Amino acid sequence: MVRTKFAAAAAATALALSLAACGGSSDDTAAPSAPMTTAAAPSSAAPMAGTGTQFGPGCAAVPTDPANPGSFDAMAKVPVASAAAGNPLLSTLVGAVKQANLVDSLNNTKDVTVFAPTNDAFGKIPKADLDKVLADPKALAAVLTYHVVSGKLSPSELAGTHKTQQGSDLMVTGSGTSFTVNGNAMVVCGNVQTANATVYIVDTVLMPKS
Amino acid sequence: MSTVESRRRAGLSGLAGLLTAAAGIAVAELLAALTDPAAGPAVAVGGVLVDAAPTPVKEFAVRTFGTADKPVLLGGIAVALAAVAVLVGLLAARRRWFGPGGAALFAIAGAAAAMSRPAAGPAAALPSLLGGAVTGIVLWTLHRPAPRPEGFDRRAFLRAAALVAVAGGAAVVTRRVRGGAATRDREAVRLPAPADPAPPLPAGQDPGFVTANRDFYRVDTALTVPRVDLGAWRLRIHGRVERPRTFTFAELLRRPLVERHITLNCVSNEVGGPYIGTARWLGVPLAPLLREAGIDPGADQVLARSVDGMSIGTPLGTVLDTPDVLLCVGMNGEPLPLEHGFPVRMLTPGVYGYAGACKWLTELELTTFGAVDAYWVARGWAPRGPVKTASRIDRPGAFGRVRAGSVPVAGVAWAQGRGIAAVEVQVDAEPWRRAELLPVPSDVTWVQWRLTWAATPGPHTLRVRAADGTGAVQPERRATPFPDGATGWHTVTVTVDG
Repeated sequence: MVRTKFAAAAAATALALSLAACGGSSDDTAAPSAPMTTAAAPSSAAPMAGTGTQFGPGCAAVPTDPANPGSFDAMAKVPVASAAAGNPLLSTLVGAVKQANLVDSLNNTKDVTVFAPTNDAFGKIPKADLDKVLADPKALAAVLTYHVVSGKLSPSELAGTHKTQQGSDLMVTGSGTSFTVNGNAMVVCGNVQTANATVYIVDTVLMPKS
Repeated sequence: MSTVESRRRAGLSGLAGLLTAAAGIAVAELLAALTDPAAGPAVAVGGVLVDAAPTPVKEFAVRTFGTADKPVLLGGIAVALAAVAVLVGLLAARRRWFGPGGAALFAIAGAAAAMSRPAAGPAAALPSLLGGAVTGIVLWTLHRPAPRPEGFDRRAFLRAAALVAVAGGAAVVTRRVRGGAATRDREAVRLPAPADPAPPLPAGQDPGFVTANRDFYRVDTALTVPRVDLGAWRLRIHGRVERPRTFTFAELLRRPLVERHITLNCVSNEVGGPYIGTARWLGVPLAPLLREAGIDPGADQVLARSVDGMSIGTPLGTVLDTPDVLLCVGMNGEPLPLEHGFPVRMLTPGVYGYAGACKWLTELELTTFGAVDAYWVARGWAPRGPVKTASRIDRPGAFGRVRAGSVPVAGVAWAQGRGIAAVEVQVDAEPWRRAELLPVPSDVTWVQWRLTWAATPGPHTLRVRAADGTGAVQPERRATPFPDGATGWHTVTVTVDG
């Protein structure tokens, strides 16, 4: 008798679960709150499983309200140059990217990693030098494309030598949530997701060896 | 002895709670499966939780569970429900009215969730309420004052178990049958030949002029692709019309069908972005349908509604004056794919999708822009969405690397309804050069363009601009997609190896 009852209970539980699962024929997992770019084309859907979340002390400076275009939520839904444009911490970089005509290239490229220097990082460069680079589109494009690496690098893939879009390599050392690029640029906020790129915000502008 | 006996009774009571809850859910799901699958308590509560969850939680779920996030959510609901059901069972053994009381709370929660879903009517509450009633009555009966010292009605327990088995089994079977029904309905659709076929594509186009259905972009808010039961589906035309009409799918197919190549794009496409495609669409012209219904002269908006509650408003003047505004039933020679709006989607050439291309269409209301804000308009997007002239470089790709010498440069340009008169490409600061335009069947498709570039080693920047049929050059000024479409000349950086 007892056995019968437990069999019935097991059957009931299994049924409850199977009923629930029957409704779950989901093939689209994008968040429903973002206007127009929610269930985007398969190529640019929401961040893939297993990418984890952003880390680092600099992340605290990023707005938390999802309605704010500079927030992580908002950045995850638009391509990288548009995402950066919403973030006041990256306004110098965004201006430079526009100056170098790199907005579309950054937005249109599938799966890249971008090292994004903060405004403070640009502030470390002597003004005369910065102005000189900003005034020379080719030099500026070389510096900026040196911050772009093919493929979305997860934190576990970050350490190592990577070939940049500029052509020469950069080197990342560190592990866990602490990384340094080329020995002097600290990742202050890492693994920020945008629709087409993983972003690591750094505190120093990276310079290709000329 | 008494501890053993009381443990046994506690176990039985918990089990009774679980069993009766399962019976109630089984009955509710069976009724939902038979009437309105979206009204089932499990899916309805899941939907409410998804909508209510803060975005970081949702993104965490998507990242952690990937495409399994929904089954994980529903499994979690089932486990939580089972725990509460056991608790209700235990409580009901002490105070008989806890059984029906607990069941009523469940029923109200399920019913409220089902009623809150988009496009839900009052009937959506019925499955949950009936399921709750079953659970409550069975629990009440189980804990009837005992004729025997056990204080537990074994026969009622077995009857409940039988009810779970029968109703649950039937619900599973019905849901399977109905769930697969949309797919089978779609496979069974035989589209009639068009009365007015698409003009043949002119020779000399590059591959890629027509976008395959599987490659066609998809931008919508549907968490799960709506699966429409074709037998129950109706299209209702109502609002400011003299003679409201309702059509079945078969009735729509009996009307003369028009077939056209049309390019559709999304307002949220960035400059150079991927949310654009061209398909051969088969559909019923909309303007004659509206005219037959008798248009109230005061109306200025055609408000389309989907089965999942989306609303999209199109100017009535655009619908009446633009050739080939269609209620599409076919896409590239097959019935509309489920994710592209099966059984019927609207398509307005020259208007962005958010303002003219409602999928899973079920209702067309003639109204005014003053009276109703469509879904995206209520969220700040422009009420009217005419397509802006635009162009895109597809080859070489952004950050592409090519060999020095003759390099083919190619892409598309579009200005649906106005056509493309010219496309020009500029390399670095060199003079703009005219690109060759490949032939097109009409002015509502994109135009493929190409030119040959004598590439020299080093980094280069290429940009493109188009002029539409009126001679107007697309704006260079950069605008974001919000609120009415991006502008700017698409610019890519490439490296030429020596």
